[in-house]
Amino acid sequence: MNPIGAEPYIVLSMVLFLMGALGVLMRRNAILLFMSVELMLNSANLALVAFAREWGQVNGHVFVFFVMTVAAAEVAIGLALIVNIFRERQSINIDELRQMQG
Amino acid sequence: MEWLFLIVSFVAVLAAGMMLTRQNAVHSALFLIVNFGCVAFLYLMLDAPFLAMVQVTVYTGAIMVLFLFVIMLLGAEATTDTSGRMRWLGFAGTAVAIILLLIFAFPLASNMLSDERAEPPATSARLRVINAIPGGDNEPFTIEDMGQTVTMAGIVTGTVMLDSADDASADWRIDDVAYDYTRDAIANYAELPAGEYTAIAGVELAGFATSPMLSESLTLTTDSAHSAVFYENAEGVVAVALLEDDVRAPAVGKMRLSVFNAVTDRQVALVDVGQYTARRSLCEDDSCNSLIPHRVLIAHLPSGQQTSLELEEGSYNLAFVDQDQAILRTLADYEAERGVIETRVLVREPGVPGSQGSYRAAVFTAFAVPAFGSPESVGQVLFIDYVLPVMLVGMLLLVALIGVIVLARPDALAQAERRRINRRRRVNRPLVSVIAQQTGADVLSGEYMAKLPGGGDDKAAE
Repeated sequence: MNPIGAEPYIVLSMVLFLMGALGVLMRRNAILLFMSVELMLNSANLALVAFAREWGQVNGHVFVFFVMTVAAAEVAIGLALIVNIFRERQSINIDELRQMQG
Repeated sequence: MEWLFLIVSFVAVLAAGMMLTRQNAVHSALFLIVNFGCVAFLYLMLDAPFLAMVQVTVYTGAIMVLFLFVIMLLGAEATTDTSGRMRWLGFAGTAVAIILLLIFAFPLASNMLSDERAEPPATSARLRVINAIPGGDNEPFTIEDMGQTVTMAGIVTGTVMLDSADDASADWRIDDVAYDYTRDAIANYAELPAGEYTAIAGVELAGFATSPMLSESLTLTTDSAHSAVFYENAEGVVAVALLEDDVRAPAVGKMRLSVFNAVTDRQVALVDVGQYTARRSLCEDDSCNSLIPHRVLIAHLPSGQQTSLELEEGSYNLAFVDQDQAILRTLADYEAERGVIETRVLVREPGVPGSQGSYRAAVFTAFAVPAFGSPESVGQVLFIDYVLPVMLVGMLLLVALIGVIVLARPDALAQAERRRINRRRRVNRPLVSVIAQQTGADVLSGEYMAKLPGGGDDKAAE
């Protein structure tokens, strides 16, 4: 059995989540923004897996599975949007996307 | 183990930091891949090998390749971050993040360092009572109560009281009423917290409890399973046997068959009779006493003992025979399915002793407990408990796929292009000047031409 409890993993996942949140706040590039969101989702997954091990329940793993699936769908749609926006404006800086009108 | 965790988590945080600060988007994506790889390694350390592999294939494989592909397709490597105007947000965000981290992580870290960590709640151990006393309304059986032998008749309950050694308040009672084993009764496992117990076993008949027949200490551990089997022993007196069931997954492609002999005064052997025709000729005439050549699977199982064997997947014709080579019970066309754990308790049914139908191999199935976090265990939960969400997520992926196709269809580009072209081609010359250009003669005289918008330029050009 693993001698490390769940706490270090939770702390690590918090650190990673906050770094992802900072990335969302600080970076203006839409692709980097997306990557930061992925980092946040991934840190949440890490916490879920740590809790699943702590409680001896596989349900946490199943939830991580769903999160991964949703993340894949989200990335596919988001990147398609980014490609379209880039075609339209030659830029993916989200500060320049201040109007909805194409 | 600690140093491994520290190194991997350090690399993960470092990679995340590098991802946030790189100016080149490709470098950021590569550092994010490193971070995801570290997280996959942490999943391995957290007994989640299946998720670790999914993480590598889906995240670092599919999603990040998609990111890199889009970055390189757009040629957007240089991230044009706006500077100055929102710079304070970054500093404020960092400060808030550090404060949050201190607030939440500090209690966790202090808890981590102190010795009095909460014990992780153990997964439960399992115990079941199998009542194989030849029961029935009018079937007498004999028990020993207070040193005396008492013969009673009726439906009897086998009872196990578990007295927790650590905690006075935690007592458990598990019982099983034996009746009608012809319908393959299933005694379910009771889930109990792991720990040290004193097991006290006895039988009850219509509310009348006998004195304990067995009192022994029992250590229940997680992922272990026990059975308390009540049966008639060789002296014809009700006895109880406390057995540890082997619930580990059987070898690949095999099933595990455990046999408990609850038949009074008989040694039992389990034999593989062989082909169907052979078994037919064996038992359709009444001379079941002589056996054709066969394969002995279990030899000499005394009364009150349990043994187990692993069978290859397939179909068998099995027979229980006693020491006089008399067939007690046949299991025709017995299907051995892979991964199954089955307990067969050979009991004597009420009725005329000696005839073939008076013995019964009651089935008590047990499912193998797959290792925590293995693909097997995740798949079992995923496709049994969460079938509907799996379907919905599949639907979501389908919708996302269609959405991406709609967004990326060539029409989207064509519309933007057409708009640009239309803008360029806006007619700013009057029709008459076009006609004049094509026919080579002025339709209108110059003074009218000059009054028309844009007409003067064309005139001048000509």
